[in-house]
Amino acid sequence: MSRPRRVVVVGHGIAGLTAADTLRAEGFDGELTIVGDEPRPAYSRPALSKALLRDIDDLASHTLPPSDHGAVELLGVRATALDVGRRRVVLDDGETLPYDGLVVASGCRPRRLGAEAATGTGPGTGAGRRDDALALRNLDDALALRERIASRPSVLVIGGGPLGMEIASGCLDAGCDTTLMSLGPPLLDQLGRWLSDLLVDAARARGLRILPADAPRPPADLVVTAVGDVPNDAWLGSSGLLGGGRLVVDSRGRVRQDVVAAGDVAAFPSTDGPRRTPLWTSAIEQARVAAAALLRGDDAVPYRARPYFWTEQFGLSVKAAGVMPAAGDPVVVDGTGDACLVQWPGAAAAVNYRIPVPRLRRLCETAVA
Amino acid sequence: MRIVLDRPRCEGHGLCEEAAPALMHLDDDGELVLDREELGDSETAAANAAVRVCPVAALRLS
Repeated sequence: MSRPRRVVVVGHGIAGLTAADTLRAEGFDGELTIVGDEPRPAYSRPALSKALLRDIDDLASHTLPPSDHGAVELLGVRATALDVGRRRVVLDDGETLPYDGLVVASGCRPRRLGAEAATGTGPGTGAGRRDDALALRNLDDALALRERIASRPSVLVIGGGPLGMEIASGCLDAGCDTTLMSLGPPLLDQLGRWLSDLLVDAARARGLRILPADAPRPPADLVVTAVGDVPNDAWLGSSGLLGGGRLVVDSRGRVRQDVVAAGDVAAFPSTDGPRRTPLWTSAIEQARVAAAALLRGDDAVPYRARPYFWTEQFGLSVKAAGVMPAAGDPVVVDGTGDACLVQWPGAAAAVNYRIPVPRLRRLCETAVA
Repeated sequence: MRIVLDRPRCEGHGLCEEAAPALMHLDDDGELVLDREELGDSETAAANAAVRVCPVAALRLS
């Protein structure tokens, strides 16, 4: 295949940034343009619901080192359509960008509850106004949430996944009376019973009230929803690239020869079929593969999913590698109680326990003693 | 070019070690050790990858 001379990267999160870096590292010296819908450089998204929410004095926990890929950065601009025949990306400012290689890294956005479900019932919620519920995805969301919780409102968090639990933890730390509503036990679907119990116990000990999702909604000054995410692929709607409503890529991140995708928007092959993995390290690893495939095609090394996930909440730092949710009780490899290294068949986790990721990964691949 | 570690920021994820194993590693206590601080030109790409992958921006190049 001929190497592209003009590459456009749509998306300026860690996937888009990593793709741009990788293109340069792989020797691409052509024209490189990055389109980002936020009017700012890329930042660390995991920090938004962790350090940025918790450490009220630290406004820099999300900053990343400045880039050196030398791309033209079009920020505060959104891609609205893609014409794969004429190889053009259409932007919402009326411009069109020609390309001969395209990286789709447009990420995802929070899933919103329907208007009925998001209707606040308590004081200060302006009953019926759907936009009263905050969600946390980008830096503006995080700064808005920080500002709101500084005055210690009562908070209702809807959603018992990692994001909802991190938000609840941050609200409690800020001194807010905090309730979380969850469909089933928090974190059970993502992490399995053992880690779910551990984190839920720590949350309750710190004063988190947990209610089932179908319970009557308690009154709250502030409602925050964290009920999953939706890929930003509407701009690809007329491109013909979406299969079954999803952006499905091959093991090298390719949608077609001149279009690759990575990060939260892309469904990579997995043992359960094409799947999105909206995690920081997955976005980085996918972007490396996709950028290499755009330049070298089949010679690029295929993506191998090696999920790594971490969360910080309620005084616990949990790092997990391998297949989650993990079933049953783990074997404790080292440590005890609230600071330990544990192992399941095919998975491992470190709780308040510092361990290099390569070692944690090796533990996933080692037979449980 | 040098790698600079902001130690209080480091949370010990160790993703940098994976990106640049020749330049840094986490020790037995999970503390990051820079094995090389002064970098040759051939090591800049690996160092950049390590800096970029850190989710808490504890590493930078100067």
